Amino acid sequence: MSRQRVYYVWIPLLVALVAVAAGYLYVDWSKGGGGAGLYSRQWLPDAVFAYWNPGDFYQSTDAVVGEFEGEQCVSCHEAVTPGIVKDWQASRHANPGNGKATVYCSACHGNNHQALHLPTPDVCGTCHATQHAQFEDEKRYGFPSHALAMERALDAKHFVDKPKAEVTACLQCHSVASKCDSCHTRHRFNAAEARRPEACITCHSGPPHPDGETYFASAHGRLYLDEGKKWDWSKPLSKGNYKGPTCAYCHMGDGKHQVANKSLWKFGIKQINPLTSGNEVKRDQWVALCSDCHAADWSRQQLAGLDAERKQAWKKLYSAEAVLKDLRSDNLLYPAAGERPPYPADWLDSIRPRARVGFFEGQASAFYNVSPIERDYFEMWYFDNLGAYKGAAHGDQGAVSHGHAAMDQDLAAIEKEAGRLRGLAEREQQAQRRRPDPSKLWLFGDYTEFNKEQN
Amino acid sequence: MRGLLCVWLFGFAALSMADAPIPKGAFANSACLACHQQQSAELVAAWRESAHAATEATVSCVDCHGNTHSNAAARARRDSTCTDCHGGEGGPVVHSYTTSKHGVLMRLEQDEWDWRRPLALANYRAPGCAYCHMHKGNHNVSASVRVWNATQGIDATERERVQDTMRAVCQDCHSPRYITRLFDNGERMLDIGRMKVREAAGILEQAENEFSVVELAAAREHFAKMQSLHLKNLYLGIGHQSPDYQWWHGQPALDGDLLRIKGALGELRRAPK
Repeated sequence: MSRQRVYYVWIPLLVALVAVAAGYLYVDWSKGGGGAGLYSRQWLPDAVFAYWNPGDFYQSTDAVVGEFEGEQCVSCHEAVTPGIVKDWQASRHANPGNGKATVYCSACHGNNHQALHLPTPDVCGTCHATQHAQFEDEKRYGFPSHALAMERALDAKHFVDKPKAEVTACLQCHSVASKCDSCHTRHRFNAAEARRPEACITCHSGPPHPDGETYFASAHGRLYLDEGKKWDWSKPLSKGNYKGPTCAYCHMGDGKHQVANKSLWKFGIKQINPLTSGNEVKRDQWVALCSDCHAADWSRQQLAGLDAERKQAWKKLYSAEAVLKDLRSDNLLYPAAGERPPYPADWLDSIRPRARVGFFEGQASAFYNVSPIERDYFEMWYFDNLGAYKGAAHGDQGAVSHGHAAMDQDLAAIEKEAGRLRGLAEREQQAQRRRPDPSKLWLFGDYTEFNKEQN
Repeated sequence: MRGLLCVWLFGFAALSMADAPIPKGAFANSACLACHQQQSAELVAAWRESAHAATEATVSCVDCHGNTHSNAAARARRDSTCTDCHGGEGGPVVHSYTTSKHGVLMRLEQDEWDWRRPLALANYRAPGCAYCHMHKGNHNVSASVRVWNATQGIDATERERVQDTMRAVCQDCHSPRYITRLFDNGERMLDIGRMKVREAAGILEQAENEFSVVELAAAREHFAKMQSLHLKNLYLGIGHQSPDYQWWHGQPALDGDLLRIKGALGELRRAPK
């Protein structure tokens, strides 16, 4: 090997080694700011974030001095906050039975009133090790999962970009990763409560994730609404214990604190190949679960039906994306990237502005600083598409038909609007008139300027 | 200590009422008022201050309590008393609550609760409509609700009036610092929503000099939605602690309105007559 050839090998190798090390250092450095997550140096938390992401932001009150334990906490808080004491008194923590020791406030919050903490899953995991290990195991499957939800929110570019008081609600739901009381509410922490579908709907409802709506409209949900009150919710979520399934029965079978392992189409915002070997394993898991009540063949057909519905939906979505991409290539988006506030948290965008279309370009973070036609696609993709998806997955045919009819209308409207934009541009060209500069309209105003300065 | 005081107060009230046997009814509203003016004047006075008494079709005693004494208080405390008038189960007022954690606990547990207990001291595991808006039986529901104002913030006195009422409710279960931080965050969140409405209002005001009413119709429609629907959703989401109303039905919906108003004006300016 000549000396020159050796350089061909060693130089790229060295560069790669340095780049990887530098990358790690950069990511580590970027996580060291006043916020949290990958962009922590670009924002500071709102004070209320302490309660949604206590691991990163909670600091104890120092208003009360002293160390307290057991009944001391209870007797004072009976007067100060009677509700939480009543809740705790009715909980298993206060009545553990089997000769076990009572779990008092200090077990989770500490006993120094100036150094209290809000319990994170790790704290709960010291006793509930099995559930905690199952929950942590979700991370292997990536997002969407409960365990990675907070990371996902904090690293979202639109979360970083927007004023923090505006995006508090994001953390309220994504706090499912940071504390256990999203599902079994404090201070009762009742497993039976978390088994019921209503426990999920505070977060799993509304336009982009109508899980509650589609479940309650399905045959499963109607059965629950009719008879659920009479079921014995103290029983584990296992075969034979319930006449119909709930959210947790299917997504957390046998009470396993793991919602991510069977997920096929995931959040529904990108197309997947449902037939990979990994997904066949998941499909078999679903069929095994449905077989608690249904024949295996029938269950496979239902899953194939979901795949077919998704394929149809993506055909429509890609058609709309193609319209947007054509407009972008012909520089017909109005305002174009560069004439409106930049794509969030992306310094490259200030040098080379670019409109984002579809999942892989990051359009999920581009739903506000965009032209109407891009927003129309966002709503088609996030609201109507996901409504149809959740309908198909949860057995609500009404939502499937409604979602697909809405997507057809959206696509027609997007095509029509694209035609108008082309028409406007043609007329301007014929009249040799420059199109008016939209920046004044798009870069100024009470909110737009506030958003630019405060994030 | 507070518990003792309550026992004493309720006992005293019970003894003083014990003289006369309580009639069963049925009553017309005027009869309720005539008697309760004597028996519980404060309660009637509070009701008279409320929006319930001020509306044209007065929301009267019998509307909530029914026209007999039997179970009258317990019946009126339940959410079903309020929901029909306040937009029904599917309307944003009720739906923002029923999907909140408070509302979920209510749906799951309300049939197990003893509704004869006063609306105080966390006698209910989760607060229903009346627990917050008629805490301790305060019949002035308006004490806990702000005067609606879409574009401008409310003045400090009005804010403190409502926050003081609500603080006394929330602290049955939540720490003072938590309550304060949620209130402050809610103010900031609502202010941001108002900024979006003001930005749109400013744009439309300027556009009025350029374009006719007909030309501006589409933009105006979006603006109406901002004020009467999406900003209100945000306000309800904050008040009822619904993340979905704060976010998907609120802030991004307002963003959509704002950019569509800008889009509509942009197109008008590109297509001169």
